[in-house]
Amino acid sequence: MKQRIAVGILIVAAALLPLALDPRGYWIRVLAITLLFAAMAQAWNIVGGLANQISLGHAAFFGIGAYTSTVLLKFGISPWLGMFAGGVLGGLAAFIVAIPTMRLQGHYFALATLAFGEVMRVIANVWTSLTGGPGGLSVPFSAPSFWDYSFKLLRPHAYIALAALIVVTAIFEIIRRSAMGYRLRAIRQNQSAAEVIGVDTTRVKLQAAVISGALMAMLGTLYAQIAVFFDPDTVFSIAGISIRIALIAIIGGVGTAAGPILGAFFIIPLEEIMNDLFSSRAAGLSQLVFGAILIAVILWRPRGFITVFDALRARASRTVTP
Amino acid sequence: MSFLQAILDGLLIGGVYAVISIGLTLVYGVMGIVNFAQAEFLTIGMFVAWFAWAFLGLDPVLAAPLSFAVAFAIGWVVQGQLIARILSAPAVAQIFLTVGILIVIENGSLLLFGSQFRSVTTSYQTSSLSLGPLFISVPYLIAFAMSLACGIVLWWFMRASWFGRAMRATAQNPAAARLMGIDTALMYKLAFALGVGLTAFGGAVILPYVTVFPGVGGQYVVLMFTVVVLGGLGSVAGAVVGGLAVGVIQSLSSLVFPIQLQNLVLFVVFILVLAVRPQGLVGANR
Repeated sequence: MKQRIAVGILIVAAALLPLALDPRGYWIRVLAITLLFAAMAQAWNIVGGLANQISLGHAAFFGIGAYTSTVLLKFGISPWLGMFAGGVLGGLAAFIVAIPTMRLQGHYFALATLAFGEVMRVIANVWTSLTGGPGGLSVPFSAPSFWDYSFKLLRPHAYIALAALIVVTAIFEIIRRSAMGYRLRAIRQNQSAAEVIGVDTTRVKLQAAVISGALMAMLGTLYAQIAVFFDPDTVFSIAGISIRIALIAIIGGVGTAAGPILGAFFIIPLEEIMNDLFSSRAAGLSQLVFGAILIAVILWRPRGFITVFDALRARASRTVTP
Repeated sequence: MSFLQAILDGLLIGGVYAVISIGLTLVYGVMGIVNFAQAEFLTIGMFVAWFAWAFLGLDPVLAAPLSFAVAFAIGWVVQGQLIARILSAPAVAQIFLTVGILIVIENGSLLLFGSQFRSVTTSYQTSSLSLGPLFISVPYLIAFAMSLACGIVLWWFMRASWFGRAMRATAQNPAAARLMGIDTALMYKLAFALGVGLTAFGGAVILPYVTVFPGVGGQYVVLMFTVVVLGGLGSVAGAVVGGLAVGVIQSLSSLVFPIQLQNLVLFVVFILVLAVRPQGLVGANR
């Protein structure tokens, strides 16, 4: 009960936040991007957190979504429909890549997915007739309307990103509490033991991968509409997308619903602030500091920020009961 | 004839790939850590060699031991201060600690050296020897010879020296090695420093035919992993076979596909090998 009230308060607070920020300002953009990355990290968390399959190639699905809806929009198809088309393609791509990689574990899985993300980046760079190649792709301009997913200000984008975060988090929670969630965690604990007690491990991992990939692709559409212009090296980026969302989930606390949200609200504003402070003075300094903070956080809390709250709670309960 | 030429070029380039990847496989074999920052030490090696060429007039190939030494020192500190702390942490923490190191090194070199491309000029850069109808590029040949020499020294070190044997014992069973009086923490430092040193060495010897900039390591990341996985993670002999194989695959695919698709072939081979034979082509023996 207490938890539900807390979640309710958080959602209301998040819904009010965009109203408090200057609609033409810089921070509303940071908020929209933060919410979007939180949702992406949450989608990653379905496979990365519950089954502990660390994917370093989720940019593949994200890019598929961004390109699908944008290419369809050129033919006058609403991005809302394009989003679902992208979701189907993203799910399909996740299915195809899952077949050869699902049996892999740990570092091997991370490496295979890393290579898959690179395959998609190379294809998008070469297939210029469809994607515009390295020159990038502009989202066609249309008069502001909800149906065309086009707005004058960033505030509606922030609300759509918030809605996406709530939906993806809800899906994550539903899976986590369902039989599928228990099966995934059984795989995380011990794959052989899970098989012995009758879990069809391949099938469960495949299901999780497809859901995760489809959600990731749908979020790609949100990004395309906010960014208005993108190229293969941005949406299929290893460092910018794949590693960043995995990091967000890991720093926040992998396998928990709150982890990706905590992580995103820590990492994305931090990056923005550092870019703001340093990028005009010295190229690379902001990312350098970012990497150093990352190392520090991992050494301090190898299991994520969320363990700080656990430790605090443990201390609190110790003081209450003598 | 272009087919034979491509195989020859592939073997020469592949020899270097083997040396830069041995470091990766060595670190994994001894500690079970996949170092995602390994390719950044290639960048470090290249920068050291470039500065040695620019300010001391040293040929990059002769500067290779210097590159090795600098990377060895950095690796010693990185292992002792950072990686040693997460040896028993979950795999995610291990992966992302090395990713953090990657970010720091890449952006540190951007900060220090700027984003411009740097290359060296040497007397032999464009010369080649003819072997019947085939041509052997001199910079390729020199890089290959240096890699071969380095590989032989490493082989001797691992087989015959006390440190090499102690390191292999640590890889096999750290607890038993400790009981035999081996300082395993020291062995980990040595393995990591040696591993990144070898990669930096490889970076120096290829400098005559490539350019160096802060993001250059990123171009070799997937390539190095392909080499190592082809040969079996943790297997030094496997990395040699994998390196030569990757060199030849890359060289042959450039006969058939446009240059932009060269890496695509490599990535697809990589994913297929992982899927079909994750223990590597050579097998599981270390």
